[in-house]
Amino acid sequence: MDEEYDAIVLGTGLKECILSGMLSVSGKKVLHVDRNKYYGGESASITPLEDLFSKFKAPPPDGSYGRGRDWNVDLIPKFLMANGLLVKLLIHTGVTRYLEFKSVEGSYVYKSAKISKVPIDQQEALSSDLMGLFEKRRFRNFLIWVQNVQEDDPKSWDGFDPFSNNMQALYNKFNLDKNTQDFTGHALALYRDDDYIGQSAIGTIRRIKLYSDSLARYGKSPYLYPMYGLGELPQGFARLSAIYGGTYMLDKPIDEIVMEDGKVVGVRSGTEVAKCKQVFCDPTYVTDKVRKVGQVIRCICLLDHPISGTGDALSTQIIIPQKQVNRNSDIYVSLVSHTHQVAAKGWFVAMVSTTVETSNPEAEIKPGIDLLGPIKQKFVSVSDYLEPTDNGLNSQLFISTSYDATTHFETTCLDVLDIFKRATGEEFDFNKVKHELGDEDQ
Amino acid sequence: MVVIMVTMASRSTAQRPNGSTQGKICQFKLVLLGESAVGKSSLVLRFVKGQFHEYQESTIGAAFLTQTVCLDDTTVKFEIWDTAGQERYHSLAPMYYRGAQAAIVVYDITNQDTFVRATTWVKELQRQASPNIVIALAGNKSDLGNKRVVEFDEAQTYADENGLLFMETSAKTAMNVNDIFLAIAKKLPKNEQTGSAGTSGQGRRLVEVEGQKTTTSNCCK
Repeated sequence: MDEEYDAIVLGTGLKECILSGMLSVSGKKVLHVDRNKYYGGESASITPLEDLFSKFKAPPPDGSYGRGRDWNVDLIPKFLMANGLLVKLLIHTGVTRYLEFKSVEGSYVYKSAKISKVPIDQQEALSSDLMGLFEKRRFRNFLIWVQNVQEDDPKSWDGFDPFSNNMQALYNKFNLDKNTQDFTGHALALYRDDDYIGQSAIGTIRRIKLYSDSLARYGKSPYLYPMYGLGELPQGFARLSAIYGGTYMLDKPIDEIVMEDGKVVGVRSGTEVAKCKQVFCDPTYVTDKVRKVGQVIRCICLLDHPISGTGDALSTQIIIPQKQVNRNSDIYVSLVSHTHQVAAKGWFVAMVSTTVETSNPEAEIKPGIDLLGPIKQKFVSVSDYLEPTDNGLNSQLFISTSYDATTHFETTCLDVLDIFKRATGEEFDFNKVKHELGDEDQ
Repeated sequence: MVVIMVTMASRSTAQRPNGSTQGKICQFKLVLLGESAVGKSSLVLRFVKGQFHEYQESTIGAAFLTQTVCLDDTTVKFEIWDTAGQERYHSLAPMYYRGAQAAIVVYDITNQDTFVRATTWVKELQRQASPNIVIALAGNKSDLGNKRVVEFDEAQTYADENGLLFMETSAKTAMNVNDIFLAIAKKLPKNEQTGSAGTSGQGRRLVEVEGQKTTTSNCCK
């Protein structure tokens, strides 16, 4: 460890592993350390099952759960948007070759105390009970308009400037009712709350396009999920970093980030000090340089059956829009199963999560829990959502934010790309990497 | 615009340009294990590219190579994973072992410690990898016979006791390099249930497809 590096990365969560990979690919000498003896930090998938039970201080699982090693249980639920930033990062860095994915079978939305499928084609839209006949026609016109919008071509805007007008104005233009607005904002644009309604419409338009472009990639839903769990993602990017010369040390306690004149100069573990010009880390390594801006509750539920009303889907997402249950932020339910090699045969892992709004977060997720039917085992965690108080420009200490309650990785990637830009002064060049990696596979 | 498609990553029967099918192609994930500087990357480079560099740097930039071996009517395609140096501080990711159907554990015949460590790598494989994995032990740097400290018989006995294939190899002279991969190819089961690429999780690989180009299977090179 007593060497000099360009960058030292602390923690092997997904954000830190992507950063480590991008830095190594860019020619930086990287040391990547984790205090845990496993990869993934907060974004790990816990295996075997016994470790998950002991992590939550539960008595060991009985024989009904099958082999413990067949389980890889995520701590943070998320899916990949098939046409989103993470898929782009995976493909352009070549990390995708280490992974396999399955398309999530369906997406559902909660309305009037029951769940309905989010339509994926004309036929499903026609038979959907989400909206009445006339509303369907108005909604269809709205979607066609959104698809036609080209940001750099005002002629395609059909008289409505999506930059200067807010989303409410766009809803009004198409006469969409409150239910359809709820559906659009929360099940398609995937907003967690209603703040977007007062903001420029272009943001929502981009999100709807991302949704439909992702849907077009595979068809059943816009989401992908990696075999063996989300914990494979940080491992894949760590491998990329290692291939480009990054040095990996797990199970290494970090005692101090050494600063001189307000700038990082190294990292100390015991009596060893590794020198460096920059440090990248997750908030748990620098508790004095982050502030708590909220909390996220996540409840892992082990089931021996699929969720009723989803056509026995082996993977699914259910969005409970905030208004439906008198809240300010949506509740998300995600389900994956033995077909993703994350559970023993016949088992399912459901996760209910939301942004905490009250002093009794467990009561807040009840509408989601109630959809699941009998639950064999439940593990609840409430984690602080932390963000850095220092942007790193002077200190050269770059801290990621905690993982938020969103259902996908778009904000995760935006944080990573922003940190990379702050640290290197330039945008990450996707294309450069691709060409350098191009000849590995024949 | 970049078009991203999801394609099956699994064993396939190749279509020749004229449309007829040839013998089956089986794809296997093979991982390399062993201490730093025993010649893991050199063995792969010799096998895949026919090259040898006396002062090969620690692995950088090529940790995923493929090479095919032909056996009668079957083409065995190896997806070869190098450790990328993550073995140095015992930080190999579980992903590395995931779905591996074959492994070559490498030691340096001029260094006793690397042989001792090779036996612990074998134990690690037996613990972490799938129970049916085919393991080969390679005593590398056999061109340095005058500096030998690990006796051939000692390694052979160990291999026999643990059901491993065993050969002494030299990435420098190419001795036994193709042979050890061929021996592994012969020992791998080639029925319908095996031979899915890499992770055998029955998922799909994400690939970028420009225009209408689709992925095609390779036949023997």
